[in-house]
Amino acid sequence: MRRSAKLRPDPRDLLVAAVIVLAAAALGAALWGRASAGTSGSGLTAVVCVGGQETDRVELSALPKPETRVYHGSGHTLTVRFSPSGAQVVSADCPNQDCVRTGLIDAPGRSIVCLPARISIQLTAADGGGVDAVIG
Amino acid sequence: MKRILALFLCAAALTGLAGCGTRQSSAELFAMDTVMELTACGKNGEAALDASKKEITRLEALLSRTRADSEISLLNRSAGKPAAVSAEVGQLLLEARAYSAATGGAFDVTVAPVVSAWGFTADAYRVPSQAELSALLTRVDSSKIGVELTASGAQVLLGAGQSVDLGGIAKGYASDRVAAVFEDAGVTSGMISLGGNVYVRGKKPDGSAWRVAIQDPKNSSGYVGVLKLTDAFAVTSGGYQRYFEQDGKRYHHIIDPATGYPAESGLTSVTVVASANDAEGSVGGSGTMCDAFSTALFVMGAEKAVEFWRSGGYSFDLVLVTDDGRVLITDGLSDGFSQEKGAGYSYETIRKTAS
Repeated sequence: MRRSAKLRPDPRDLLVAAVIVLAAAALGAALWGRASAGTSGSGLTAVVCVGGQETDRVELSALPKPETRVYHGSGHTLTVRFSPSGAQVVSADCPNQDCVRTGLIDAPGRSIVCLPARISIQLTAADGGGVDAVIG
Repeated sequence: MKRILALFLCAAALTGLAGCGTRQSSAELFAMDTVMELTACGKNGEAALDASKKEITRLEALLSRTRADSEISLLNRSAGKPAAVSAEVGQLLLEARAYSAATGGAFDVTVAPVVSAWGFTADAYRVPSQAELSALLTRVDSSKIGVELTASGAQVLLGAGQSVDLGGIAKGYASDRVAAVFEDAGVTSGMISLGGNVYVRGKKPDGSAWRVAIQDPKNSSGYVGVLKLTDAFAVTSGGYQRYFEQDGKRYHHIIDPATGYPAESGLTSVTVVASANDAEGSVGGSGTMCDAFSTALFVMGAEKAVEFWRSGGYSFDLVLVTDDGRVLITDGLSDGFSQEKGAGYSYETIRKTAS
């Protein structure tokens, strides 16, 4: 069967194909590299938000020893203890004390919320491990 | 020219692919008496989150029972006389009335005066007397809510002494509205968590399902299991979420509209899961439905909840946690539910047909 001259690839087609393959390979390498970097450290990080804005970020696994920090929101004050094993509100002057009653959180996806103070403390993992949300 | 075009198209496709993996926008806001987390992937993610926050704020202003200028407060002040409200509020009341009828009154927005008597509306907790509860219970009946949709909105008539509280469906309805915002913005991957109400859109940017854990009612830092979800709503109600203690007894916030007391049904939590998509032979679920049913089925107890699920009137699945240490999972979720080892529960799969 005779091939159409129009469909026969010429050197310029091969050049375009080569550029596309190289671009795909470079993109794949970049994404793989980023994913690998993400899994290299799986330590917990506590993200503290006040009024919906991130105000502090504590890398728990890097703490040489437990430490406490104080946060203020909507006229209330929370004292939070961070340690390599998790985070806990140790005292608060909010009326319902739900944040204190939550106790220690120690896994990615877990959070402590103080509604009166509008403060949240959420644990995340560098490798994105754990869960995306907790209901209940 | 064609070669250049091919090269351009391929580059655009590859750039878009990379963008989905990297452009993830997140926001947190406090509204409806809870904290809300929103995540959207893609180039429109940031705009979708801004629009979602505005929509949630609008809904709070519309539906709050504690804001004096909301339509619900206006309605509650006019009990016994017709009140003009928006078509949106009228439709939501009709939906609430339908869920009340479907659940035999286990979900009822007119339980509001009883909830207030327990102090859950104003965080001023107390145990009402039986006489007080008996008097208030005569006002609890959703079927007495009259709703007439009009050209300009809706006319609503509450019975004498009645008031409504949409707190049992407001967050679920908000998740429905945010789902619509995501749809309009072209967001194909995202998640929102509105204080016990979750909606996941599509899959995660890495192509995997969203992992949504169900809190262990006995242990605030533990789970009873993890759901793998795509395009779904999931809502949990539990007596451990909000409560107070008096004279050594715990009183939680889920009030049984039949007794006026916190429901004691043998359940410690109920999770309702529904697909957000229409499937063959069934209509997709909604956050509003999941929200209403999670409350109603908690009130009903395990046996009646399973019976209701088996009746097939609505399309959803369940995870029930009982106070004797069992976790009951309906079979639609059995492939997408991971048990939490070491939580101390026994797990049972519930089939559509009783064995």
